[in-house]
Amino acid sequence: MGKSQGKSGFLEAVKDFLYGFVAYGPAQLAMKTRANMEHLFILVTVGDMLGVPVFSSYYSLKLLPYMVPQIPTWKRRLLREKDFTDNLEE
Amino acid sequence: MNSVVVLILGFIVAFIGYRVYAKYVDTKIMKADPKRMTPAKMYMDGVDFMPTNRNILFGYQFKSIAGAAPIIGPIIAIQWGWLPALIWILAGTFFIGWVQDYSIAMVAMRHDGASLGGLSHKLISPRARVLLLSFIYFYLLLIAGAFGNVVVSTAINLKAAPMAWLFLTIGGILAGQMIYRWRRDILLTTIVTVIIALFGIWLGSVAPSNKIIGDTLANSRWLWTIVAFVFCYFAAVLPIWRFALPINYVASYIVFLGLFFGIIGVFILHPDFTLPAYTGFSIKIGPLWPIMFVTIACGAISGWHSLVSSSGTARQLENELDARPVAGGVMFVEMMLAVFALIIAGTIYASPSEYGAAIAKGPGGVFAAGVSKFLGAIGLSAETGRSYGSVMMIVLAVTIMQLVIRFMRIATSELLSDISPVFRNAHIGTIIASLLGALLVLTGWWQYLWVLFGGANQLMASLALMLITAYLMSEGKPAAYAFYPMIFMFITTIAALIYTSFSLLQKVISGTVKGEALVGNALMGLVGIFLVIAAFILASEGIRAFSRYRAIRSEEAKAKA
Repeated sequence: MGKSQGKSGFLEAVKDFLYGFVAYGPAQLAMKTRANMEHLFILVTVGDMLGVPVFSSYYSLKLLPYMVPQIPTWKRRLLREKDFTDNLEE
Repeated sequence: MNSVVVLILGFIVAFIGYRVYAKYVDTKIMKADPKRMTPAKMYMDGVDFMPTNRNILFGYQFKSIAGAAPIIGPIIAIQWGWLPALIWILAGTFFIGWVQDYSIAMVAMRHDGASLGGLSHKLISPRARVLLLSFIYFYLLLIAGAFGNVVVSTAINLKAAPMAWLFLTIGGILAGQMIYRWRRDILLTTIVTVIIALFGIWLGSVAPSNKIIGDTLANSRWLWTIVAFVFCYFAAVLPIWRFALPINYVASYIVFLGLFFGIIGVFILHPDFTLPAYTGFSIKIGPLWPIMFVTIACGAISGWHSLVSSSGTARQLENELDARPVAGGVMFVEMMLAVFALIIAGTIYASPSEYGAAIAKGPGGVFAAGVSKFLGAIGLSAETGRSYGSVMMIVLAVTIMQLVIRFMRIATSELLSDISPVFRNAHIGTIIASLLGALLVLTGWWQYLWVLFGGANQLMASLALMLITAYLMSEGKPAAYAFYPMIFMFITTIAALIYTSFSLLQKVISGTVKGEALVGNALMGLVGIFLVIAAFILASEGIRAFSRYRAIRSEEAKAKA
């Protein structure tokens, strides 16, 4: 690795460290907030996938194509065993 | 002894620990596999599980674990002499601290990013999980009390602190508004709000609280306790983007700049230690063993880190090889932070009696005086430097406090909502947590509170080491590197908690303390006893789990033979 590459690698590492120190937490929380709202919406529309019949199947079917990419994540998030220590970052 | 020699010693210990011992454990025992799927890569949901660059995680892990504890612990523990404190910081981190942080991250990663509760359920027993969660609740209460005490004593004894804290809060609220509502550029927001916070630090030095609200209010313990817990109340119940998050964001810059330039200041001034290397085995707060070993918590070993490493870091590591630098490496950096705090306490006072007079008012003043001296090396005035140090102390303590109160609110809901649905209410849960914390702050002597917090924290660490040992035994891996530290921490912390609780309850029973001190001592003593009982039950569950795994291994060995 050349000197300039090594220097830019070090500066990149410092930049990443600073980002991790000050901004990574807030960025993560913003994504979690968005995910919470999206997953609530998915629960309302296709909650019957998890045995929670909350919505008319007509609307569920109409919205389903938009939600299919997120359904595995949503299922795992709702069904995963949790306790209050999971909320450390919230 | 010159402080730079101590810093260099710290660097050497960190280097050998990370490059030799940690590498050995990582490659030969845990056998970190870069090809193995981590939960971050397997699930990759962009929310809980997200593979993240190791350097970013390094900064994030450091931010999560570096609170007030690695600073306050050494400042208090120097009462036994700087030498035993230094030995514990270095040896504790080398043999136990990084072991816990790294190993629990690996174990959680190999169990789908399970939290500590989930791991105890899988590796020990379902009952262990319930006990651990109850233990954590009282542990959080002690954090709220101990850190609350730091905030209150700093606000009272450093009159610049309240104004600086106020402007930091204003800057933080403005940052939240600018980012999330007005959609302003993040760079502009950061510059504006950090300048507001820095202005507040300067303003605090020229407009101290006693000049604004008078001496009576400025010295009122009740007032600052109410302020601290009302602050935490808002942090716990308001949407996180509006209060807690942006304040923590702005505060990160203040802390980072203070630490960075403070350490540069140490190298510039390179002062000698003025306090004695060793003062004696027994002092007012207790004997060197076990009390000093729990007084210095986060700078050597801390159970808090196991919560962070399991619930957070383990779900974001993109590669098993990243666990050593992120989880293990950061612990060595925290060790250096503790060494920095030890240098502050050990070098800025001309004599032990001067230090004694300062520490009697609380550790915040000692830290602020040290930051003032070392920032003075780069040109900051003494008064502004003291104001900077005081707000750093408050920020380091209050960011953990607000997280803890929020956590306790969620824990109250989870543990008590079956008894009555009223506990599900966010305000009720927060008020309960805040009142309990405030009660400890107002009635407890802060040094006992710190020792109890340290004992609970280290006991949490020994329980994490128990989980690690259980995992290693279940996999048939050598467990000595975690087992013996677990035994040492368990015995030490139980001894410390029993000693402190007994001292507190003896004062209550004998009638030595009256009034609010009676309440404080009784509450602290009972919490300490509860933690000891919970720990013994957990240990018995752990022993049963170890026997189970040993029996399985011997059956497998017989079958192979």
